[in-house]
Amino acid sequence: MDLKDVFSLLEDNARRTWNPLGVREIKCGEWAKGLGLSERGEYLLYTGCLYQMVPDIEAFSGILKRLESAGKTVFSVSLKITRALNKLGLDLTGIYTTIAVSGERRERFSAVLRNIVRALRSVGIEPAYMREEPYNGVLYHDLGLDHLFEPHARRLAEKIRRTGAKTVITVDPHTTYALRHLLPEVVEGWDVEVVHYLEVLAERGYQPTKRGGSAVIHDPCYLARWNGVLDQPRELLDRAGIRLKEPEFSRRFTGCCGGPIESLLPTIASEVARKRVKELVEAGSKRLVVACPICLVNLSREAREFGAEVLDISELLG
Amino acid sequence: MAMDLADVSRLLVKASKDPVLRTGLDRSISSYWKKRKAIFGRYPYVEELARQVREIKERSISMMEELVKQAKESVEENGGIAYVAKDAEEARKIVGEIVGSGRMVIKAKSMTTEELKLREYLEELGNEVYETDLGEFLVQFLGPKPMHFISPSIHITREKVAEFLERFMGESVDKDDVEGMVALVRKFLREKYFTADVGISGANVFAADVGGVFLIENESNIRLTITLPDKYVAVVGMEKIVPTLGDAWKVVEVITRYGGYKVTSYVSLITRPSEASSGDLGPKEMHVIFLDNGRTEAAKDPVLRETLYCLRCGACQYLCPVFGIVGGYWSGLGSAYSGGIGVMWSYITEDEERASYHSFACLLCGRCKEACPVKIDQARVLREIRRRMAEKMARGINPP
Repeated sequence: MDLKDVFSLLEDNARRTWNPLGVREIKCGEWAKGLGLSERGEYLLYTGCLYQMVPDIEAFSGILKRLESAGKTVFSVSLKITRALNKLGLDLTGIYTTIAVSGERRERFSAVLRNIVRALRSVGIEPAYMREEPYNGVLYHDLGLDHLFEPHARRLAEKIRRTGAKTVITVDPHTTYALRHLLPEVVEGWDVEVVHYLEVLAERGYQPTKRGGSAVIHDPCYLARWNGVLDQPRELLDRAGIRLKEPEFSRRFTGCCGGPIESLLPTIASEVARKRVKELVEAGSKRLVVACPICLVNLSREAREFGAEVLDISELLG
Repeated sequence: MAMDLADVSRLLVKASKDPVLRTGLDRSISSYWKKRKAIFGRYPYVEELARQVREIKERSISMMEELVKQAKESVEENGGIAYVAKDAEEARKIVGEIVGSGRMVIKAKSMTTEELKLREYLEELGNEVYETDLGEFLVQFLGPKPMHFISPSIHITREKVAEFLERFMGESVDKDDVEGMVALVRKFLREKYFTADVGISGANVFAADVGGVFLIENESNIRLTITLPDKYVAVVGMEKIVPTLGDAWKVVEVITRYGGYKVTSYVSLITRPSEASSGDLGPKEMHVIFLDNGRTEAAKDPVLRETLYCLRCGACQYLCPVFGIVGGYWSGLGSAYSGGIGVMWSYITEDEERASYHSFACLLCGRCKEACPVKIDQARVLREIRRRMAEKMARGINPP
């Protein structure tokens, strides 16, 4: 694999769609259909498009993993073909994912976001949304592609400002991190308040439906370490009557799901995820609860082998 | 041909499929974690001490050039010979001239001498060289590299050790008799201690005010290495220097605790050659080489500088999810260093291009920062290494 090819593909996609996988912003906003959300308001629910991209990420990294094991040349050639098709306006990743990803699969991730809207409404918040929802830009930053990240971040900040929101409510930890810690470095005068929806729900005394049962909690790195959100998910799950089990590595010492390197080193990413699932299952339940779309993809893939099920926290907070 | 990410991928994937390596990693990681929790329970003040050490390191690195001068003067006042080596080649040459050829050389475990590939160099000059740390002794003969700052032989099973010792010593060895195997190596090395002409060590920390090398150990091999031969050589990375003896003791305690030890068997402090009149058994010559090899430049770099705060306790390696899968293969077999912190060290002291490609294996998950006594933000430094590479590439792809 030639790093240059990967970078070029991301650059092409960024130029075409402002999204690293070429997912259109109008598709990112589709989850809100029928909810009657406004496009302007005091509170903006901004998803960063990450939950919506889960099926695309799964499909894309599936291809990458096969290419990785087929060797370097195949990988580079495939990326070059992908780029060539992109230039002709044929989106190979898009075509592949449209075929490979069932509507049902996409529906699960829309449902995650819709659950969150329902919960926010029940504590008195009517969030606005963006019909054409931009990606959060974190991958560009992580890979050191500042020449892609910086214009992306400025455009994102401008789009958020245009909604008139004073507070942005985020749903995935990477977006929370980007808006809290990265945007202020890049965007002049960025002073919008950023809160994660679990912080909002915990603070406003949200009461989820009582469910019972037990689950092992997995803290996402970006939520626990980079944003310090540790007690809120535990408190909310407790209110839902769920008996929580803590793995050996938890809270600030939580273990990564492998996700951040799955696009470059998919085999290592999957080994990291497998080890983490094992640690989680050893805590005493096969029901694993996460609060991040990337953790959800990576741990779910490996959980099958252990007969475990991975749920997004919002799926237990209805 | 130039390197690319496929080379990193191939190396790491292969390591991830090695069951022996994985067993070794699993065992040492879980043992470290248990010990760490016990230590933090028993010595709760260690976190406060580590915070103070962070301040000491920040101060020391910001005045590193001045400290090198002070340290050099102290060594000379004490009757030792001090050198400043600007790069690896110069350092090797200095040691080569002190040692000569046809000599017997014994070494204490030292990452900085690994960085110099010093053992290999001295062997090329026609010397016989032995590592005296048990783990490092095994790595010397079984390779491929020290896998961890303080546990270099994580990847070597006792079965492999038994097989090697049978061949090496020509005696039959029971793979279940670990003590017996240790005794066999001890016996072999004992003879070397008493016939060695030169003893070489690194330094865990160096106190500039007294000109003292601190060495932390459990096996007593370092005590023998630095006292028995007539000549003693210490190779000290410039970042190891702190202003005072008091600072140095704090660093020693923090390295020990974060390395997973309540206490170690020994801490040695050596400041000067022996004085013949007092009947001291120590070395007649003491040479101290302060090694730059990229450190001065890194100290001036607003992002890379944090690397120099590293105490090389190995805590971050034990707790890194990627290290837990691939061990010291991450950073490359050609690198003395391992893991994310290893990539950072390698970028500064070894091979910028190789390190840049290896930086892409980091998850940026930040557990290393939690683990680290001086809270080095490896994610930030490694991302910066990526950024510099991406910038270079972008310039290459679209020349202005």
